[in-house]
Amino acid sequence: MAKDKHIADLPSIGESFFWRKEFSRRQFLIGSGAVFSWAMLQKMSFAGGKAEETTATAAKKGVNKVPSVCEMCVWRCGIIATVEDGMVKKLEGNPENINSRGKLCPRGNAGIKLLYDPDRLKFPMIRVGERGSGKFRRVSWKEALDFTAEQMQRIKEQYGPEAMIMSSTHNLTQPYFENLLKAYGTPNYGTQRSLCFNAMTIAFLFTYGVAQPVVDYENCKYIIYAGRNLAEAISNSETQRMMDFAARGGKIVMLDPRFTITASKAAEWLPIRPGTDLAFFLAMGHVIIKEKLYNQEFIQQHTVGFEEFAKAVEPYSPEWAAQRCDIPAETIRRIAREFAAAAPAAVVHPNWRTSNFVNSFQTERTVAILNALVGNWAAPGGLQPVPEEGSALGSLPQPPYPTVTAPRLDGVPWKHPLVPLKYGVIQDIRDALLTGEPYQGKGWLVYRQNPLMSIPERRKTLTALKNLDFLAVIDVIPNDTAYYADVILPESTYLERWDPLSVAGNRVFLRRPAVEPLYDTKSGLMILKELGERLGLGDYFPYQDERDVIKAQLAPVGISFEELLEKGWAELQEEHHDPYYLQTASNKIEISSSTLANSGENPVPAWQEPPAPPVGKFYLLSGKVAQHTQFSTQNNLWLSLLTPDNPVWINAEAAKQLGIKDGQPVIVESPVGKVINKAYVTEGIRPDCVFMAAGFGHLSKALKTTYGKGASNSSLHETHTDPVTGCQALSETFVTVRPYLGGESA
Amino acid sequence: MSKRYGFVMLVYRCIDCKACQVGCWAENEVPLGKSRNWITKDGPKGKFPDLITDFLPGNCMHCGNAPCVNVCPTGASYQTEEGIVLVNKKKCIGCKYCMVACPYNARYYHPEEKTADKCTMCVHRLKEGLQPACVSTCVGGARVFGDLNDPDSQVSRLLRKHRAVVQLPQANTQPNVYYVYDSPVDKGGIAP
Ligand code: SF4
Ligand code: SF4
Ligand code: SF4
Repeated sequence: MAKDKHIADLPSIGESFFWRKEFSRRQFLIGSGAVFSWAMLQKMSFAGGKAEETTATAAKKGVNKVPSVCEMCVWRCGIIATVEDGMVKKLEGNPENINSRGKLCPRGNAGIKLLYDPDRLKFPMIRVGERGSGKFRRVSWKEALDFTAEQMQRIKEQYGPEAMIMSSTHNLTQPYFENLLKAYGTPNYGTQRSLCFNAMTIAFLFTYGVAQPVVDYENCKYIIYAGRNLAEAISNSETQRMMDFAARGGKIVMLDPRFTITASKAAEWLPIRPGTDLAFFLAMGHVIIKEKLYNQEFIQQHTVGFEEFAKAVEPYSPEWAAQRCDIPAETIRRIAREFAAAAPAAVVHPNWRTSNFVNSFQTERTVAILNALVGNWAAPGGLQPVPEEGSALGSLPQPPYPTVTAPRLDGVPWKHPLVPLKYGVIQDIRDALLTGEPYQGKGWLVYRQNPLMSIPERRKTLTALKNLDFLAVIDVIPNDTAYYADVILPESTYLERWDPLSVAGNRVFLRRPAVEPLYDTKSGLMILKELGERLGLGDYFPYQDERDVIKAQLAPVGISFEELLEKGWAELQEEHHDPYYLQTASNKIEISSSTLANSGENPVPAWQEPPAPPVGKFYLLSGKVAQHTQFSTQNNLWLSLLTPDNPVWINAEAAKQLGIKDGQPVIVESPVGKVINKAYVTEGIRPDCVFMAAGFGHLSKALKTTYGKGASNSSLHETHTDPVTGCQALSETFVTVRPYLGGESA
Repeated sequence: MSKRYGFVMLVYRCIDCKACQVGCWAENEVPLGKSRNWITKDGPKGKFPDLITDFLPGNCMHCGNAPCVNVCPTGASYQTEEGIVLVNKKKCIGCKYCMVACPYNARYYHPEEKTADKCTMCVHRLKEGLQPACVSTCVGGARVFGDLNDPDSQVSRLLRKHRAVVQLPQANTQPNVYYVYDSPVDKGGIAP
């Protein structure tokens, strides 16, 4: 039996970095002392536990167990770090945290290799060479922050605060990042959402007033996923629950052009034509209505607009859909019947990254409505509403924000009236930097985000960044955007810093240092505060250190900071809300959306034909692998051992016709870019599609482990934006693939 | 009766995420580039769109009749009463006979300790009442561990309910690692 080939054939990387050697002489203090409750230890042990023995041996060896919160992705699993002589040796899932349920995914397990990554940002730096030359000098925090504040102040005075863009990923410090940008007075807030799940969240917001309902897996019997690949795009607890559901005999129907690992677990895999899930779901609606399989009583009580939808789907028979989506009419009809029969313990999953096609919003609206038709909202086995997180926590007092009158560069709301301000349309910010319309952006502060890797048409993004007067990056690793920055402010990793509280279910958990910072880095909270103070905005950061923020959050929870440290988590007050928790204007499920109607859009879903590749071209699909998170983990030594690159999936028959062999280098070319990458020839993808996982093809030479590996699909992606949701359509780029015979450069 | 530890690998439940592998690397400070456990990908088999892929979690089979123990010239490789095959690092001279003898390629040479090295069932964790590291972090719930001699253990219950096979039965190594291939529809679920 052969071992995994990635592992067996590894070159020895041991020489270049072996953390035990590098750090064994350094003794680091443990940030928070030995804190771990007896109850937790007992729960962790199996077969009745021998907790005394565990703790006894632990104490002897000078071992501390520090409960904290993972940040290898955004799921925020509870972790317990084993710290031995000041070094983090092991990370394990906290059984008390519903996001981890005692387990960590591969990325969570590999967090140690972020902490001890030799390529990490270790001190503040200011660029000395050309932008993009990668030449920096080490500076003090004072110099770095003074410089950043001076530049931001200069831009504000010369061009107005709106000339400064500030963007960040979704993280626990985000409220204070928002404080900085709103207090500074810029409307230009960038998030990653328009490249991710805007279509889904906006569709569910319009239909239910709840952006991200969850599935009651434990009571569910039937789930339809459209491209939601939970086995590889791991959301730890949800992946676990899906596998429990499937192993129990729950039925998974998987719509995906690719035979993903989730598809391999599904009872039924339907390799649908990209962009036509909408046809499939409209036809399901057609069948459910025609055959009266809906929940009459539920619809009457809780929904508005049923009649309009019924009328709208009349033309969308399974036969009509079959011609578009390549799934037999009989299959669609059967699945619609099975789904309705299993209801309310049946769900069409809301999915996650839905930035696929311009029609993805219509698809997601139809998904939202199908669930309503069978009445699974707040029912056992159906969709469950989740209230906005963190509403039960306290906060520090702060002055009101100045009024901002300048329009946003990303067109929200003047071009995209329906996109929530908090979501934004980041690819339009990039375009505004190129056109200078409606005005010229001059500076960009990027907080743990990597626009160079994430926004389509990387070439354009590079030009846009080079056009800036000033680019500052806060991050933990020298990512691609940092590589092009003027100043880099290094944040401590999640294993070295305090962050605001993390809510998981009805408990709060604390991210706190397992070890003191290894290098000259700071927490995001302190970086933002010190920057804010230099900008004269100190009142918006009324804390001495991170603990003040956490204490203020804890005030209404009724537990002290010390108690929280001791226990590792705290129970939140039960929030009593109406079980249906419908947050729409009508207080009903809006099958026909009042928001859409008010803005002159069609209030019920309608078919929108997606573009298709001409002969000789392929759909370019992108997605995730279980070992990596977006663009941030490819340099992790362990994760890179497991998944070093992102070969191009191509169907065996298509490859044969093009003379492409497995493992051979190929050129993938789109109208906006060209990459050289390795082919992975497989039966597991439709013949009209190719696939590349996201996150590879880094530009930053400072990421030594991953630099030069794989290729970036952002260099290939064209920019197509859905005017309603601002969602980028990542699968509307069509590419050619041909063998690489040398002599050509990407 | 003494304990006899073993694994039951639920093939259907493995999602090839490799959390088990990273967890083991950390737990046992496995030298970079080596591995005590692994996932073997079997597939996709068939023609588009009728495909099957199986993922087989693996590690040392803790053979009841262990070739590695049989060939070891110094007695460094041995089996405990509970069926755990271990290497006594003090006795091991790094001759690599065991690595050659192992039909499962489960051993590697530890470049710093200059000894053979392999899966220990995380015996240090068992002593503390914990599961092996790979099992406790298994996202798919594919790796199940316990006492095969205890009729009430999860592993025993699974083996009673499902047909299980071992790898390379022809080698007559009598592994203590079993594989269940049943899919959920076969037996009304394969939840442990
Ligand atoms: S899903 Fe994985 S990476 Fe994300 S928080 Fe959980 S353990 Fe960490
Ligand atoms: S799998 Fe290999 S190393 Fe493990 S007991 Fe069997 S022969 Fe020995
Ligand atoms: S952790 Fe479990 S599900 Fe993941 S690869 Fe290992 S055995 Fe499979």
